[in-house]
Amino acid sequence: MSGPGSRAAPGEDALRAAGIVRRFGGLRAVDGVDLVVPAGLVTAVIGPNGAGKSTLFDCLAGGRVDAGRVHLGGRDVTRLPAHRRARLGLARTFQVVSVFPSLTVVDNLRVAAENRSGASAPARLLGLPDPARGRTRVAVEAALRRLALTEHAHTPAGELPAGILRMVELARALTASPSVLLLDEPASGLDDAQADRLRHELRALAADGLAVLLVEHDMDLVFGVADTVHVMAAGRIVASGTPAEIRADARAREVYL
Amino acid sequence: MLTLELALAGLGVGAIAALAAVGMITSYRATGVFNLSFGALAMIVAYLVWQQVRVWGWPLWAAVLLDVGVVAPALGLVLERFVFRGLHREGAGPARMLVASLGVFVLLVGIATLTWGTQARLDPPSIVPTGSVGLPGDTSVPTGTLVELGVVIAVAVLVAGVTRYTRFGVRLRAVVDRRALAELAGVPADRVAAAGWAFGSMLAGLTGVLLAPHLRLDPYGLTLLVLETIGVAVVARLASLPVAILAALAIGVGQSELSRLELDSWGLIQALQANLFVVVMLVALLVLPRMVEVGGPDGTRAATRLGTGRGESAPAGWWVPFVAVAAAPLALGAEHLRIAQQVPALAIVFVSLVMLTGYAGQISLGQAGFAGLGALFAGQLMGRQVPGLLALFLAALLVVPVGLLTGWPAIRRRGLTLALTTFAVAAVVSRFVFAQPRFGTDAVLDHPWPFEGERAFYALELACLGLVLLVIRRLHVSRLGRMLVAVRDHEGGAAAAGVDVASAKVFVFAVGAGVAALGGALLGMGGRAFDAAAFDPVLGLVWFAAVVVFGVDSAAGAVLAAGLVVALDAATTAGMSTIVVGALAVLLSRMPGGVPATVLRLVAGRPAAPVEPIPVRLTPLGRTLRARVRP
Repeated sequence: MSGPGSRAAPGEDALRAAGIVRRFGGLRAVDGVDLVVPAGLVTAVIGPNGAGKSTLFDCLAGGRVDAGRVHLGGRDVTRLPAHRRARLGLARTFQVVSVFPSLTVVDNLRVAAENRSGASAPARLLGLPDPARGRTRVAVEAALRRLALTEHAHTPAGELPAGILRMVELARALTASPSVLLLDEPASGLDDAQADRLRHELRALAADGLAVLLVEHDMDLVFGVADTVHVMAAGRIVASGTPAEIRADARAREVYL
Repeated sequence: MLTLELALAGLGVGAIAALAAVGMITSYRATGVFNLSFGALAMIVAYLVWQQVRVWGWPLWAAVLLDVGVVAPALGLVLERFVFRGLHREGAGPARMLVASLGVFVLLVGIATLTWGTQARLDPPSIVPTGSVGLPGDTSVPTGTLVELGVVIAVAVLVAGVTRYTRFGVRLRAVVDRRALAELAGVPADRVAAAGWAFGSMLAGLTGVLLAPHLRLDPYGLTLLVLETIGVAVVARLASLPVAILAALAIGVGQSELSRLELDSWGLIQALQANLFVVVMLVALLVLPRMVEVGGPDGTRAATRLGTGRGESAPAGWWVPFVAVAAAPLALGAEHLRIAQQVPALAIVFVSLVMLTGYAGQISLGQAGFAGLGALFAGQLMGRQVPGLLALFLAALLVVPVGLLTGWPAIRRRGLTLALTTFAVAAVVSRFVFAQPRFGTDAVLDHPWPFEGERAFYALELACLGLVLLVIRRLHVSRLGRMLVAVRDHEGGAAAAGVDVASAKVFVFAVGAGVAALGGALLGMGGRAFDAAAFDPVLGLVWFAAVVVFGVDSAAGAVLAAGLVVALDAATTAGMSTIVVGALAVLLSRMPGGVPATVLRLVAGRPAAPVEPIPVRLTPLGRTLRARVRP
């Protein structure tokens, strides 16, 4: 899948965060995190509940940061809102699935494809015909096929079971032809077959050159697909390495495993 | 008059406003529902006292004791039992709660209009003593003011004491915060909530009885005045009673002091003096940080979804009977045709709400303001010799920037705060523009050339409605429509998909305002005059309720609603449509998707689909526990 976004060469840093701090009142939920998400690899963040994983995720995807910088494909996006980052090639899913229940699956995907393509803001608002209509259709169909959603294409998302909705959300993220994919607990609510498909897709996406970052509690999935694992605790990254290194790391075992 | 005496005079009004605010905050804290019908409850109780004392000749103390002490709390209990308990049980979001309390509001206003008419009663009995108490330094303070002050302080102390120091207070807060958890902990949630409702309604009644003698008694006036004290509750961020009392007293005194200033030629100071509460409401909503909203298990999730969420799937040829019915009035005589002319105009205003609320999930209680501005601008333009047809569309365009300004706060606000903000805008526009003679007098409204004839004008209205419906239909299958629904369904998800959520909201408010203005201008042209009462801010609430009742995501439902509202009032008596809309809005908790969807379902014999099923799967232990707490 190729899109308008410029994809970093394999191994290059597609997303880079430096010194990220996010405070809630006196609590530093994220306390000076440095993180790189290289293209072509799967990076995972694990850690106990309350470690700040989801907050870090929000900081990367468009939420407020109190200190630090976020670079997307070499461009400083720290001050850009979520939708601008999305248009620059950063796609994400949510811990609680974020599909649009009253739209059909195909329309869910269209929203992402249409708002990624280059139409100017006024044209978008006035609903002028999409100059990239053909490309939109191709992207939507490709994502539907990729995640085996074709049979559900014209069903309103609100009528589908939770596991399928996870797939719809992932498909929506892929429809925008992103260069970076952030997945917040993508395996929650999936049955074994779906989790297998997810594992397979994540590897395939990374092989396509996508930079994938996931936050996940399912250790089988994390150790099965991740190239690099970061362990977070109390707002900081306390250990980083390959899955094998993390399994052996005393510090990581102490805080989480 | 001396500054001090002015200040003392202002304290009386301030004290009553404080009582209203304390009542609203207390019942909000106690029930988790911001009771928009608070003002209507106050009005009804004031009317009851008036009826008993002035018409039936009861002694004042007996009437007040019965109405404030028994009738008002009983009303509260009825509301809790038959309207809000079911909604709480379903875990309904703030939007549906808002519509339900709006329904109660509209129903009560309708009942009062039908029972007592719209003419004002000038002699509501006063329960506070007349006369005044001398103060050192040659000033005096009315005894009534002291009594009113005493009442509000006593109530505040009582409320604070109960919530802070009694077991009941703790239970109350538990029920409001997490009803289900409170029940699991053995708190009888229904009884606690019922007590909250009874007490809140009693305070509403007390407010009405105290306030009525200060002004004339009519169904809209008193209700609106109490609604305006929402500003005080907002200043207190729906939480702090002392802040509410101080703010109310300060506004009362400020209002009084403003009367010392020279009257300016614009009448601005004068308007400000008469409407300080409204201004404070708008400013507070715009300036203050987020209010401390309570309760609601799904407070953040899809808070503004009201419709079925399915949109329309009209059968082929849906427009044939529609066009036939719409064209039928063309065969009517002039007198009936003039009534029928209100339908397409009102329908256009209603369709603007379908766009805003149904498609984009934004609540607007202020469409009456935009519609009125449309009529006023059209009249001003026609008064300046602009051709009528041009004036019609120019007026709609001119209101678009006002919609932009109103949409701005919507970027960060939702649910209750947004609803109140839009209402405040309409109230300010009504008081500072519609009610000012300098704006209304030189407006000339008439059927535009070449549609002077009654039939021709009706045809023009139909054409405009058709145009608006076409746009709506187009919207439904366009990228823009998908984008708006995405914003309604999940803002975060929409942003993640690259949708500029803020622009989308502002845009839909602007377009909605323009469409409402078009409808308002047609209403004005049909009536051949600018009538400020036709765009009363209270009507904005009635209209919103009407649209929600007839299916907020259905344009056809909106047209149906407009037809029914006009026909009911024409065929029976003014206010009947308000009662019907209110009753239906109250019943909405039993009718997912509004009236048409329910009727269709009944006809088709299909069971009602739950709007938002709550995903709960209990373990065997959980089932045992639930059976124990909820037999």
